[in-house]
Amino acid sequence: MAQFVQALALGVLIGGIYALMAGGLTLIFGVLRIVNIAQGAFLILVATFTWWLWRATGLDPILASVITAPLMFGAGWVLYRYVVVRIRGQAASMSVLLTFGIALVIEGVLNIVTGNRFRSATPAYFEQSFRIGDILLPKAQVYGFLAAVVVLGGLYLVLTRTWAGRAIRATSQNPSAAALVGIGATATAALAFALGSASAGVGGSILSVLYPFFPASHYDWISRLLGIVVLGGMGSLPGALAGALILGLAETLTATYGSLQWSTLVFYLVIMAVLLVRPQGLFGARLREDAA
Amino acid sequence: MRRSHLIAGIGLLALILYPVINPWQPYPQGVMLIAFLLAIQATSWNIISGYAGYISLGHSMFLGLGSYTAAIIALHTGVNPLWMAPLGGVTAVVIAIVFGSVVLRTRGHAFVIITIALLLSAQIVATNWDGLTNGSDGITLELPFWSSDFQNIPFYYAFLLLLVLTVLFSAWIARTKFGTGLIAIREDEGKAAAIGVNTTVFKILAYGASSFFIGVAGGVYAYYQTFLNPVGAFAILGSVLIVLSALLGGRGSLYGPVIGAFIVSLINEAATVYGGSTQSRVLILGLILVAVVLFLPAGLLPTVQAAWRKRHPVETEYTDQTGALSHQPVAIVRDRLPSASSGPAGSLSSAGSLSSAGSLSSAGSLSSAGPLSSSAPLSSAGPLSSSAPLLEVRGVTKRFGGLVAVDNADLTVERGSITALIGPNGSGKTTLFNLITGNMPLDSGTITFNGKRIDKLAPWTRGHLGLGRTFQVTRLFKDMTVLQNVVAPLPDGRLRTMFADAVSGAEAARARDLLGIVGLARFADQRAGDLSYGQQKLVELAQVLMLSPELILLDEPAGGVNPSLLGRLTGVIRELNQAGVTFLVVEHNIPLVLDLCDPVHVFARGTCIASGPPALIREDPVVLDAYLGDDWRPQDAHAQ
Repeated sequence: MAQFVQALALGVLIGGIYALMAGGLTLIFGVLRIVNIAQGAFLILVATFTWWLWRATGLDPILASVITAPLMFGAGWVLYRYVVVRIRGQAASMSVLLTFGIALVIEGVLNIVTGNRFRSATPAYFEQSFRIGDILLPKAQVYGFLAAVVVLGGLYLVLTRTWAGRAIRATSQNPSAAALVGIGATATAALAFALGSASAGVGGSILSVLYPFFPASHYDWISRLLGIVVLGGMGSLPGALAGALILGLAETLTATYGSLQWSTLVFYLVIMAVLLVRPQGLFGARLREDAA
Repeated sequence: MRRSHLIAGIGLLALILYPVINPWQPYPQGVMLIAFLLAIQATSWNIISGYAGYISLGHSMFLGLGSYTAAIIALHTGVNPLWMAPLGGVTAVVIAIVFGSVVLRTRGHAFVIITIALLLSAQIVATNWDGLTNGSDGITLELPFWSSDFQNIPFYYAFLLLLVLTVLFSAWIARTKFGTGLIAIREDEGKAAAIGVNTTVFKILAYGASSFFIGVAGGVYAYYQTFLNPVGAFAILGSVLIVLSALLGGRGSLYGPVIGAFIVSLINEAATVYGGSTQSRVLILGLILVAVVLFLPAGLLPTVQAAWRKRHPVETEYTDQTGALSHQPVAIVRDRLPSASSGPAGSLSSAGSLSSAGSLSSAGSLSSAGPLSSSAPLSSAGPLSSSAPLLEVRGVTKRFGGLVAVDNADLTVERGSITALIGPNGSGKTTLFNLITGNMPLDSGTITFNGKRIDKLAPWTRGHLGLGRTFQVTRLFKDMTVLQNVVAPLPDGRLRTMFADAVSGAEAARARDLLGIVGLARFADQRAGDLSYGQQKLVELAQVLMLSPELILLDEPAGGVNPSLLGRLTGVIRELNQAGVTFLVVEHNIPLVLDLCDPVHVFARGTCIASGPPALIREDPVVLDAYLGDDWRPQDAHAQ
């Protein structure tokens, strides 16, 4: 029983972190209709940077997100304004190919600059745990989860309480109507892309402690994150939350009662099962297409 | 196109002769056969991602599946893996169809995402299923059975043969209705469904078709390498090379992916030899991919072809007003309707009512009063004749969030009528159209067509039953020619129809007839997107007629059409009606509606508020209040 509760608790902790990472992806998709394949590469890029920062200055990797998030916000904004914006209005498949290319460029640069080997940030609390009764919760997981929840909460407040957030939501619901009431499409899109990238900034810093990574790890990560988004329903924030929790639980439960190797596969099987019943995902809505 | 076949033939001849002329050069032969392998994959990828437009980022999975299938069977049976290679193709197709059936039922982005996940999953399975795949240790195969004097020349020819077969297969698909349907899906999936293309089945079959030759090549490749392991067999870099090849050469073209594969292979080889490490290879490939997407999105071959066409323009006639206005005798060949109307619903009486309705609205007279004298029954009074209505909408509701677009609406379309649906903007007319044709699911209510419940059927099935529509804003396939557009519709869902020639002689003749009816025969070979808006409306009508529908739903047929073309259009509608086609028309041009249609239904706030012959409708106070406005004067109806 304790083992089961432990697995559940760990699943929720990991799920919260996944939710942050996938939230950025689904935000970008919701507003820009772009599947950002480079989101996984953003994570690994930030993780590598965080690792370097931690080695060089001793700065706590999770706290480092205070630096990495604004940096990624800026990087995302620049990337959108000068690269991604060029393919606006083209077929959606082009954005997939473009962001795939960006992911490869990041992977290639990391390969050359940092070498092709595994890394992991190991601060002092790396191997310590909180003990609640029979349940052990690794400190790194807990801190990572708390950081993710704070950032997700902040993102939610930005989206619901600020003018910029309302502009983003308006654009994601109806771009042409939003433009009509004076919301600049390009600026809003850049903002959404930058926010999505910033969430990868926090996610990457957390990742650097929790998982060993190397340049090509971004395929695993983007595959997981996209899986979450498809499972939850493309562009749906609650869907991303639900998908992330399901992935976290599927992984920890499979790892506890089966074997670690199969845990990702179990998650993909869950996705297939869900898509079999609900082709549009858990929270996906079919939008009205006649009056786009 | 003929010129490119010629060049391809010469290129093939050179490749066949190369090992004969230069037999003692294993290195260039090795580079070439890897280029062939990549070309096989890129050409196959092109079927799902080029023709149908559904990008796969995990296509190298099929190479690994083919390799493992051939290797495992060879290991257990002792048969040479080369002979087992076709089974690799079968495995690839089975996997593609199974997962395609799950993922490809919806539109949009789930597919691309699942393709990455599938590739990584395959790697996980191959790594962990020790019993079958020998895990990460991999499988070692026997050495080639031929004398080492032949080096890799047999592999060279094996891959070349597979490449030729793949290109022929791709060319064959492009020539069939299946291929046209895939391009239709790429350009406008909703429209494709509306003209009878079973988009789900098409996409799944395309995914399967795009996997077969890669699987076979995988079997051969395993034997060539004599060793395979999970990381090598399911490498994502393989997918990168495939995508880059097809995109660089020209996605959607026949030879583009082959050309692209040769270029990318050379770049890849050069990067490996001179770039120092595999690491820099990823960066180079990524940079090229970004550059191609940004600066050469169409790919090399289509760009070159477009430049060629610009320098060598074909003579075209840009205006055909004379053709459009000339009232040549209209001969409409209707081969399907008689059998359809002699179906379940009492053929004799329905045929009788057809002819009576037809004779009233005489084709020649464009004068206004014609249909007004028609005694077609009012829908509100219920069917007077014994023939059942062609279309019955009962209690249909559709909500978008809190907005009720169609609210418990009833509508009846009598066989042989030209029924109008008018009403203010946002009253739910187009939404009702979309519900009738199945472009969107309804929340509640029933729709019966020809005595058959259709509200749960797929859009293409409704098309096959004889329901055709045009769109408010024309939705032609802009990159196809006008003729290709008109022959694109599929009359039924049979495989024989799918794999028939895209443009058979009889169909081309019929399509030209139909284009003649709408006065656009001379534009048959023009790109549809180059026509004017009004002309596109007429092409769309010809396209719908290709399905020989019993009922045609016209969504604002007069919008953007100039008055003289409009006269042509109404003439065509009347003549088709006389030949037995029923129409349901949404239109804001009230004089046209009152002139052409009977009965007229008025929609407001998602439901029908009035029905009757035009003479009554234009004086109905409810209608005046809801739609026409108080200053509406009946004499305006005669303005045209």
